[in-house]
Amino acid sequence: MLRVVNFAHGAMFMLGAFATYYGAQLFHLPFFVALLVAPVVVGLFGVLLETTLLRRLYGLDPIYNLLLTFALVLVIEDLMRLIAGPLGSPYSTPDALGGATNLGFTFYPTYKLFVILVSLAVCAGAWFVVERTPVGARIRAATENPVLVRAFGIDTRRLVTATFGVGVGLAALAGVLAAPTTNVQPTMGDAVIIYTFAIVVIGGLGSIVGSIVAGFALGLLQTLGAVVFPPISTTLIFIVMVIVIVWRPAGLFGKPESAR
Amino acid sequence: MRVPRSIPAALAGALLCSSFAAAPVGAADTGPIKIAVITDMSGVYAALAGQGAVDATKMAVEDFGGKVLGRPIVVDAVDHRNQGPEAATKAREEFDSGAELALDMTNSGTALAVAEVAKEKHKLAIVTGGATSAVTGANCNRYTYHYAYDTYALAHSTGSNITASGGKKWYGIVPNYAFGKSMLADFTDAVKAKGGEFVHEDTMPLGTTDFSSYMLAAKNAKPDVLGLLNAGADTVNSMKAAKQFGLDKQMKIAVGLLFLSDVDALPQVFEGSRITTSWYWNQDKAARAWADRWSKRNGGKRPTDIQASDYSATTQWLNAVKAVGSTDADKVQKYLDGRQFNDFYAHGGEWRARDHRVTHEMYVVDVLPQSQIKEPHAWFKVVQTIPPGRAFRPESQSVCKKDW
Amino acid sequence: MTRRQLLVLAVLAAIGLALPWFVYPVVAIDLICFGLFAVSLDLLFGYVGLLSFGQALFWGGGGYVAAILLARAHVDVALAILAGVLYAVVLAAVVGAIAVRRSGIYFAMITLGVAQIQYFSAFQLVDLTGGENGLPLGGRGRLFGLPLESDRGFYYLAFVLVALGVWFALRLTRSPFGSVLQAMRENEPRAIALGYRVDRYKLAVFTIAGGLAGFSGALYALGNRLAGLDMVDWHTSGKVVMMTVLGGVGTIVGPIVGAGLFESLDYFVSKTAIGQETNLVMGAIFALCVLLFRRGIVGELLAPRTKRAGPD
Repeated sequence: MLRVVNFAHGAMFMLGAFATYYGAQLFHLPFFVALLVAPVVVGLFGVLLETTLLRRLYGLDPIYNLLLTFALVLVIEDLMRLIAGPLGSPYSTPDALGGATNLGFTFYPTYKLFVILVSLAVCAGAWFVVERTPVGARIRAATENPVLVRAFGIDTRRLVTATFGVGVGLAALAGVLAAPTTNVQPTMGDAVIIYTFAIVVIGGLGSIVGSIVAGFALGLLQTLGAVVFPPISTTLIFIVMVIVIVWRPAGLFGKPESAR
Repeated sequence: MRVPRSIPAALAGALLCSSFAAAPVGAADTGPIKIAVITDMSGVYAALAGQGAVDATKMAVEDFGGKVLGRPIVVDAVDHRNQGPEAATKAREEFDSGAELALDMTNSGTALAVAEVAKEKHKLAIVTGGATSAVTGANCNRYTYHYAYDTYALAHSTGSNITASGGKKWYGIVPNYAFGKSMLADFTDAVKAKGGEFVHEDTMPLGTTDFSSYMLAAKNAKPDVLGLLNAGADTVNSMKAAKQFGLDKQMKIAVGLLFLSDVDALPQVFEGSRITTSWYWNQDKAARAWADRWSKRNGGKRPTDIQASDYSATTQWLNAVKAVGSTDADKVQKYLDGRQFNDFYAHGGEWRARDHRVTHEMYVVDVLPQSQIKEPHAWFKVVQTIPPGRAFRPESQSVCKKDW
Repeated sequence: MTRRQLLVLAVLAAIGLALPWFVYPVVAIDLICFGLFAVSLDLLFGYVGLLSFGQALFWGGGGYVAAILLARAHVDVALAILAGVLYAVVLAAVVGAIAVRRSGIYFAMITLGVAQIQYFSAFQLVDLTGGENGLPLGGRGRLFGLPLESDRGFYYLAFVLVALGVWFALRLTRSPFGSVLQAMRENEPRAIALGYRVDRYKLAVFTIAGGLAGFSGALYALGNRLAGLDMVDWHTSGKVVMMTVLGGVGTIVGPIVGAGLFESLDYFVSKTAIGQETNLVMGAIFALCVLLFRRGIVGELLAPRTKRAGPD
């Protein structure tokens, strides 16, 4: 939505997970508190990045922002590696969410259920805010026609920064949710970011619904692929992406004018 | 271009032709004897080899007296950063500047890369950290030895042990790349040989972080053993998932590849698994004595089997050099081939001539939970000792095209 | 060509000729191969404005094809390199046909996506590529009967070939073809209105860039006597982008400098205690470059009073 291709998004995801880990190690922060605190902390860091670095390049070809965020990934990941070491840092599932729940047709890990529910709730919330609230309307207007919106007296810069911060915070939230199930390591954002880009492109740039639908659909597809024909599952998402770009350039839910 | 092209072209041409006739860089016959420890100094394998491996090599040199054939011995620490091409380039540089031995090569890709360089330069390379059995198989050569362990040994020790002790039905979780495939093949053979079988194998794609579906399937299949034939982050993630589903209480868990340093980093994750190692610091008095000395120099940590193997290999090589009276790789190789030896690391060791696989005892161990360890880093409990004849691929099955 | 560009070129040539005498030859080979690789990206990015984040597709693809033919089929080196280039060119034509119709992030994503498909394929096809263990070449084979094992000898051969590639790229930008590219960059709608088939030009550049990348990738694999997954990894795609921008987008000679600096820095950092932290150093330098010195090193040198090719 902000026309910023943020390579560092994956790094924010990683930082969210690490914030959870260090929160527990240094401050004995329980998981549920981390769910709220980590996104805020990392989100503020994102705001810092945006105001000091990214903002300088807004007037130029968006390609420069992409390059800058790419550089940031390298720096952030390496710094984390210096701090945390290259191996993983262990973070275990909170006891309250451990074990498996009987869903009737199968046992499913309680924690995974929690993650699904939280993800759905957050996605629904994000969609609601962007599509149905005055704030969301302002953000959408500001990205489509910033000059006009400024003429209305709305501070677009603050809006953009806030949106960016929230976006980063959500990435961090995903990181917090991921911490108990995945190895918390500095490079955990690498794989995620490439798939994230593909998902956003497939869903359509600028469309929240697109990202949500594409995200869930592709997650499903990848798992199915892993079961049916493992070798293809890692590439499936890219194949789909290439097909979508060719067939529907703006993505499944994207607005046509964002195609070029 | 207005600059006449003929001059630079002629110059380039002359340099080109003269370079093809470049004289081979001869090893210095006086001056220090150099050992290049080519390892991962700062990445994911740094803890299991890295600086500790370099130090172990230095210890060996010091214990040997610091000199051989009247020449001082120098140890170079080289960081391959887990890149095959980089390892190869640095190995070449080292050999060209007088190194007589390349050691360690933790990371299979670097092991294969350096093995090629050793063959090209007619210098010796002893792989300790790298896992792939291709070093003594399809990629074998005259100048490379595989010293510590390999994928075949891991599979056959762990696989045989668990199957023989009642784990007949195996459920395999296999990563879908070269390492995983060879592990599965080797494990399947080992398990079958003891009357067991793999009831099912799940191949998962690279980078899988979510193992819940596999764990559920494994739980439903009710096998005796869960074989996590993976390594690194995959092992961490799959172990976490296995515990989440309570599989560790329901069945035995076998892990493909694990080191002491991994357990040091993540004890709760790895406790309860059964693995194979080439050496354990607390396995007997001699081992412990050496480990104590190493620990004093390395901040109280305990050495992994790879670090110990580097010490052992260095000592053996230096002995050979002394006996032969030269560092010439051809002569040392002829001396080593077929030689048997014993030291605190290798029990029943032999430098097998057929394929340059160095054979010795291997140990199947259980990883103890934190509550049960008697002193820091005492994670392993040896449950079986596998004799060298059974631990490694038999000569008759070797695919090495021996050209020496 | 401007006098300054000529000067930079002359300096580079001089350094290039002397390089293997004060830098380890294989490292020197890496350097010049990446130089040509960066030049190929510059054609695409600097002259057409398309930033590909998947050039490793051609570099690595060309490298692997050449390596596989050499290691598994023992063909003559010239044939292996040619095959590598052919693979890259055909692939570029196919991918380009889809990709050049888009621009910006979409273009970058297509190139990245297809590069990832190739990466995972290389990973899986272990029998062909060696998978994560890589494919050792066992030797550089023979070029029309001449053995290539000498590192310095191969360097000079590569130097000549790379120089040819760079010369080709330079001539391309100075030709009528290059003028059309400049027109397209300055005002695409007008170029279209004038009747130029803009997409065809873009495809042509994409294919040429791919071919040059494949060529340099094949030389790289030969130089190192090893083909590995690093060649098809997206980090390599990112690396060459950094080299090009650092050196100076749109200058052709700039990216060579960028590549040289980048590789040298990487090499020297690898020998220090913070060996694996090259990303930190390179990332920081690159970030500064993007923020403050967007024209890149050579770009800044060549720029002052003249209005020059390059985005800004």
